[in-house]
Amino acid sequence: MNRDGLKRQLPYVVVAGWGALNGVLLAVLGIYGESSLVFWLWGGVVVLLELAALAVLASSRSGPDQQVRYRVPYRGAAAVPPAAFGCALVALAFVYGLWLLALAVPLLAVAIAMAVHGTAAEED
Amino acid sequence: MTVAPPADKEGTGGRPVAPSGWLGWAASTDHKRIGLLTVATSLVLLLLMGVLALLMRGQLAQPDGHFLDPLTYNQVFTIHGSGMIYMVMTPFAIGMGVYLVPLQIGAPGIAAPRLTLLGYWLYVLGAVMMLSGFATPNGAHADGWFSYPPMADKEHSPSIGSDLWIGGVMLATTGVIIMGWAVLWTVLRRRARGMTMLRLPVFCWSMIATCLMVIGAFPALLAALTLLAVGRADASVFASNVWNIGYQHLFWFYGHPVVYVMFFPFLAAVAEVLAVFSGRRFFGYKGTALSLLVFAAISMSVWGHHMFATGQATNDYYSLTSITLLVPAGVEYFGMVGTVLGGRLRFPVPMLFALAFIPQFLIGGLTGIMIGTPVIDYHVTDSYFIVAHLHYVLFAGSAFGLFAAVYYWFPKVTGVMLGERLGRLHFWLLVIGTNLTFLPMFALGYLGMPRRVATYATFDGFAWLNLLASVGAGVLALAMTAFTVNVLWTLRKASLGRCEPAGDNPWDAHTLEWATTSPPPRLNFVPGRTVPPVTSFAPLLDLGQREGGTPAAKEASGP
Repeated sequence: MNRDGLKRQLPYVVVAGWGALNGVLLAVLGIYGESSLVFWLWGGVVVLLELAALAVLASSRSGPDQQVRYRVPYRGAAAVPPAAFGCALVALAFVYGLWLLALAVPLLAVAIAMAVHGTAAEED
Repeated sequence: MTVAPPADKEGTGGRPVAPSGWLGWAASTDHKRIGLLTVATSLVLLLLMGVLALLMRGQLAQPDGHFLDPLTYNQVFTIHGSGMIYMVMTPFAIGMGVYLVPLQIGAPGIAAPRLTLLGYWLYVLGAVMMLSGFATPNGAHADGWFSYPPMADKEHSPSIGSDLWIGGVMLATTGVIIMGWAVLWTVLRRRARGMTMLRLPVFCWSMIATCLMVIGAFPALLAALTLLAVGRADASVFASNVWNIGYQHLFWFYGHPVVYVMFFPFLAAVAEVLAVFSGRRFFGYKGTALSLLVFAAISMSVWGHHMFATGQATNDYYSLTSITLLVPAGVEYFGMVGTVLGGRLRFPVPMLFALAFIPQFLIGGLTGIMIGTPVIDYHVTDSYFIVAHLHYVLFAGSAFGLFAAVYYWFPKVTGVMLGERLGRLHFWLLVIGTNLTFLPMFALGYLGMPRRVATYATFDGFAWLNLLASVGAGVLALAMTAFTVNVLWTLRKASLGRCEPAGDNPWDAHTLEWATTSPPPRLNFVPGRTVPPVTSFAPLLDLGQREGGTPAAKEASGP
């Protein structure tokens, strides 16, 4: 990778390098020894970070490093609050009983329907 | 920069429309609104957590106190600690990123705004769920912010408040992870033309390091809490030592990096403030950016120092990596001090908070190195020494950075300046209160006072140091009252049109957010307020130098 290429891929290099540095630190821990749980845990994180780096790389290759055109939603997302309340009800179902799923599932369905139909929240 | 708006900006494009007003805010995809909601929610919770702290200090002000019964005291310290970490400092740090990063990189919005909004709502509902434990028959969760099993299992903590705590923390953490991904993707992939990675402001580099830790470490907390929930449902899980120690590994794999998630954005805010009010570029920019990344990576490797006393962690390794943190931390301190030295200093309120941050965080950092050494940790583990250390890091350090950020960016966010006199009163009360509260705790811990005790005996000899700490907490309450009055009074005056407009760049600041209006328009940069040429990490300073403009720019360009 030449200098320009490196500059262009710097976002990928940062994420991948950071994940690799975690890998090096994990390898040093391997010399000292630790329980197997730790290696699975931290090793899994290193893999996750490298996958994130690959996602950045794929995105970098499909578009410019710096943007000149943006697509931004001008209006809001009215489906989000009911979706969040649905998730909270799912969490509460594990506390107060699975009957709460009877409320959570329809709420999540409403949220999905609103998202699919593109209901917009009007912003001031 | 070209922004591609929807085909029909004025209309709805044929979609059904929900009302504007509060619902418009609640469902906004504007990163500034989401960021403001996050920051404002965490500030409100900060006040609530402060009240809980006052209750604790009231209880401990005198020996043999009966102000709170032990069970209530346990609930109060648990929700204070959990609230400050999960619901205040971490969301505030990420919320700052949501608000500022798109502005600083010249973008009109954040990546994945709907998901970011979902993250905010999960955070809010998580906080409500956690706090609602106080309304249950046996009260809120009472096992501390790390809630080790078997103490936190169903047998020892049967309260439904514990289940609500687990669910609430999981919801809020999921929300923060989502917001962290959005901020990271924005800074990596949404930069404006000319904004190369090596021209990113220091704050954006801090957000890269912060969000990498969020996506790397925070899922471990979800795993730990899932394990705790399963263990509460099935008692046999925690019958063996494997999952008791396993829980500690999972928890602290999150629990140490989160300290830096609650620190880097505030450190970077201090760095921005120091550079602006020293009238020069931040010193050692590349070294600081690199050190943030290295610091963040090493911080992923130190979690076992929280487990020294278990005798079941590889102490040599965790001690080595903990002490290694001194190197990148030293680079960052070098950058901050180098920026101030030789600068043309101004001392408005944000600068006061930034300058106080430097020595106060140093106390927190150096005592961290002390307890990163097992021989010292064995003596002070689970004592008030630890409480003092973490409060010097998170309050004397991070919270001072937080207030520097609030005073610094308030005119950009609202268009008006916070009151200077009340700001200075807030600052001095906070400095006095912070050191009066937390400095005696080092001595208390070293003398042997354990943390999380609801009272102590007269013959323990802890009375006068505890009284000092409680008086300090009272001073902190006065400081926070001054801050709250300042914010509310300023906003009230602004709503009545009695405030002078702050202008676009009242501080002669260097980064792109100050190139647009105060407050910024919906898409941040619009015709008439376009992104200026980006030639370094301080583009407005460059612009001033080219035009021979601002005093800061003239100073920076030299004779």
